[in-house]
Amino acid sequence: MTNKDKIRLIEDALELGQNTINEDTLLGDIHGYDSMARLTLIVLCDDEFNKKLTGEQIREFKTVKDILDFMG
Amino acid sequence: MINPLDFTGKQILIAGAAAGIGKETAILLSRLGARVLLIDINEDGLKEAASCLEGSGHHLFCFDLSELNEIEPKVKEIVLSHGPIDGFVHCLGVRCRRPLSMITPKVLNEIFSLNFGSFLELVRCITKKNNFNEGLSIVGISSVSSQKGGMSVTAYAASKAAMDSAVRCLAKELASKKIRLNTVVPAQINTPAYTSFLKMNAGIEDETLSRQYLGMGEPIDVANVIAFLLNTSSKFITGSSIPVDGGFLSS
Repeated sequence: MTNKDKIRLIEDALELGQNTINEDTLLGDIHGYDSMARLTLIVLCDDEFNKKLTGEQIREFKTVKDILDFMG
Repeated sequence: MINPLDFTGKQILIAGAAAGIGKETAILLSRLGARVLLIDINEDGLKEAASCLEGSGHHLFCFDLSELNEIEPKVKEIVLSHGPIDGFVHCLGVRCRRPLSMITPKVLNEIFSLNFGSFLELVRCITKKNNFNEGLSIVGISSVSSQKGGMSVTAYAASKAAMDSAVRCLAKELASKKIRLNTVVPAQINTPAYTSFLKMNAGIEDETLSRQYLGMGEPIDVANVIAFLLNTSSKFITGSSIPVDGGFLSS
């Protein structure tokens, strides 16, 4: 899956408009990026990529790229 | 001297016995004189649990209880080989955090199948004529989340509420067959399932621990109550949901 597709998945999961984020976007700058948003991404990583992201790990991530790198 | 929790000569089926509350219940019942029949999908876990049992006459069955259509032939096989059941404890389920947006029909079906569907199907099969002895007692493990709302646990909580509700109905329906059903309602208990559940905590406030003012529960705390509910000591209790919650629901 390309990074573009992964970004699209993240945008859908977080109900962001298309092309509102890119690799360099700071997670803290995303509108509504709260604990439920983090949980949504944890579940997304598990469902789509079979990767177990923990609460502790995601809290260390700074940018969208950190999530893309984890997805593999 | 008497032992109000004597299980000598009794045969108890435990589904989900490889870890946590199920494993602790199996060990306790074996120490109280029961023969235990253990079911789990995890073969290594089952063998490890078996190594902790006391007494003899115990048996292990490794199969996937989410395959609901395969439960009936398995129960038939178990009863044919080992005789009718005196008690049944349902200790398995998936506990997960999922926001509503991620509870798709497929995921909801999986959670409900395992948590509730397997319970109902096992009860349906065990309560067929000749599969149980008079005085059969059935216990399911519910959760305080079935009564108290929590964020991101909708599917799990609903599956436990379904179990509580089914037990209230079945207790009435099966009373004439001298069958009792109850659930135990734990708050946070120190099990591997809880540890995994904690890992998914993305910062969502979990007030459960602060409300259960007796502290963290241990599997034996729940196993003790399950043993009581399985025993004739509780013969006047049915259709109930018994909190084992360190004070949570009262606080």
